Amino acid sequence: MRYFQLYVCFFSARLKAMMEYRVDFLIGALSILFIQTTSILFVKIVFDHIHTLQGWTFHEVLFIYGIAATGRAIHQFFFENLWVLGSAYIRTGNFDRILLRPIPPLFHLIADRIQPDGIGQLIIGVIVLGIAIPELSMPWGGLETLILALLILSSGLIFIAVNLFFATFSFWMVDSFPIMSTTYQLSSFTNYPLTIYNKGLRFVLTWIIPYGFTSFYPAAVFVDQGGYHTVGYLTPAVAILCCMIAYFFWKRGLRSFASTGH
Amino acid sequence: MQKYWKLLLSQVKLDTAYSLRFWAGSITSVIRLVMLYAFWQAVYENRTTIVDISLEQMLTYSVLAVLLSSYIAGAGTQLAAGVLNGDVAIELMRPYDYINKLISLDLGSKLTSIIRETLPMLVVALLFIGIHAPHSWEHALLFLFSTLTGILIGAQIDLVVGLLSFWTINISGLRILRASFLLFFSGTLVPITLFPQWLQIVCTYMPFPSMVFVPVSIYTGQIQGADIYPAIGLQLFWLLVCWMVSRLFWLLAKRRITIFGG
Repeated sequence: MRYFQLYVCFFSARLKAMMEYRVDFLIGALSILFIQTTSILFVKIVFDHIHTLQGWTFHEVLFIYGIAATGRAIHQFFFENLWVLGSAYIRTGNFDRILLRPIPPLFHLIADRIQPDGIGQLIIGVIVLGIAIPELSMPWGGLETLILALLILSSGLIFIAVNLFFATFSFWMVDSFPIMSTTYQLSSFTNYPLTIYNKGLRFVLTWIIPYGFTSFYPAAVFVDQGGYHTVGYLTPAVAILCCMIAYFFWKRGLRSFASTGH
Repeated sequence: MQKYWKLLLSQVKLDTAYSLRFWAGSITSVIRLVMLYAFWQAVYENRTTIVDISLEQMLTYSVLAVLLSSYIAGAGTQLAAGVLNGDVAIELMRPYDYINKLISLDLGSKLTSIIRETLPMLVVALLFIGIHAPHSWEHALLFLFSTLTGILIGAQIDLVVGLLSFWTINISGLRILRASFLLFFSGTLVPITLFPQWLQIVCTYMPFPSMVFVPVSIYTGQIQGADIYPAIGLQLFWLLVCWMVSRLFWLLAKRRITIFGG
């Protein structure tokens, strides 16, 4: 409860700071909207010419896309600050300040900067899902919505865990941003069904960096093509496991952290 | 002895930090190439052409478009940074044209990145993706000329965005918007010939297709014969327009500095 109150305090402070640059904030939100719209338009343009992609219809691909977009929104809104752990905290020595505070460093770090751009992303994701679901030719009710919500939450957790894991390298190498952004680039594969990729890629996206569980496997619970129905139900377990590994690694990194001042 | 050892280590750290950034950038580009390859392979399953474009042509187009798109940014970032930290005031007193100086610096950095990034990527693409040679010798020469024109148009547009910092101070949101706009309307994601009819008509009134779509299409032979010279003529027209707009903004911006400086 105390943490919740703290979080609200941090959030309102951040909001005040952002309102200083209101125009820039609005343009930022607009950009997110535009980027998402054009990448969906890209898929639409391609599908206008081919109708199905290895058996997948436009709306099925859109469904996968929507799950990934919504999962990303959760990560973007709450955990955006992980990206700058190296550049804005460790390199500048600011992280020492965080270590002195009587709250867990990870909590402090993520509460420091909440990214409202994530809301734009969330809205887009929900709209995409709203367009795709009625066209999936399957009964849809409250239970399905509940399951989907749980799977999307897991998807968001996997995005968070992967980024937390690679951000932790900053404790040893000061700034691990290049590693983080390269890994994050892999997540663009999961906007499409994993079945269109070869075995090697599928293996990497399932077992090494489990981005497959952020969109394709959850979608397979509802749209089964290629027998991944049961694998899809493992998504929450994968998410929890990823978070545990990432958090353990974070703790480990924290212990061997020596400030840049030494 | 120990302090020299420490100094040596710190230098190693500094170097690896930069080379890491470099390698991460290359790996990210390779991931993008793999993504392109897998996606278009899947799209072309069961068909040999889409709007008269073969798979080989499409892959060639996409690879070249992605490589070229990294050159259409320009000096705008430096200009905006100069405005933020006040360097622009000193630069204006020096005996050269500030804008021309920024453009030539930018062209210099592009020249090095051709050697450092584009050529290795091109070799990877030639060996593993199988992109084809230019349509003919004439096309190859015209491609080079058209590419240069496209890059110059991009530099002018980037400058205009950078100059907006004289009014808005913070342009990070604007930069994202510009990048996503260019990615789509320059034809980097997908050739403009695949767009729906109405969107193609919209594109003919924009300078963006001249930056990527026209040069790359000349290379692949999608634009050929009597169509080439009008296309290049249009490019030159847009270059002139963009140059005049950026000059106009520069004049207005300079007047604004006088107001600030008193």
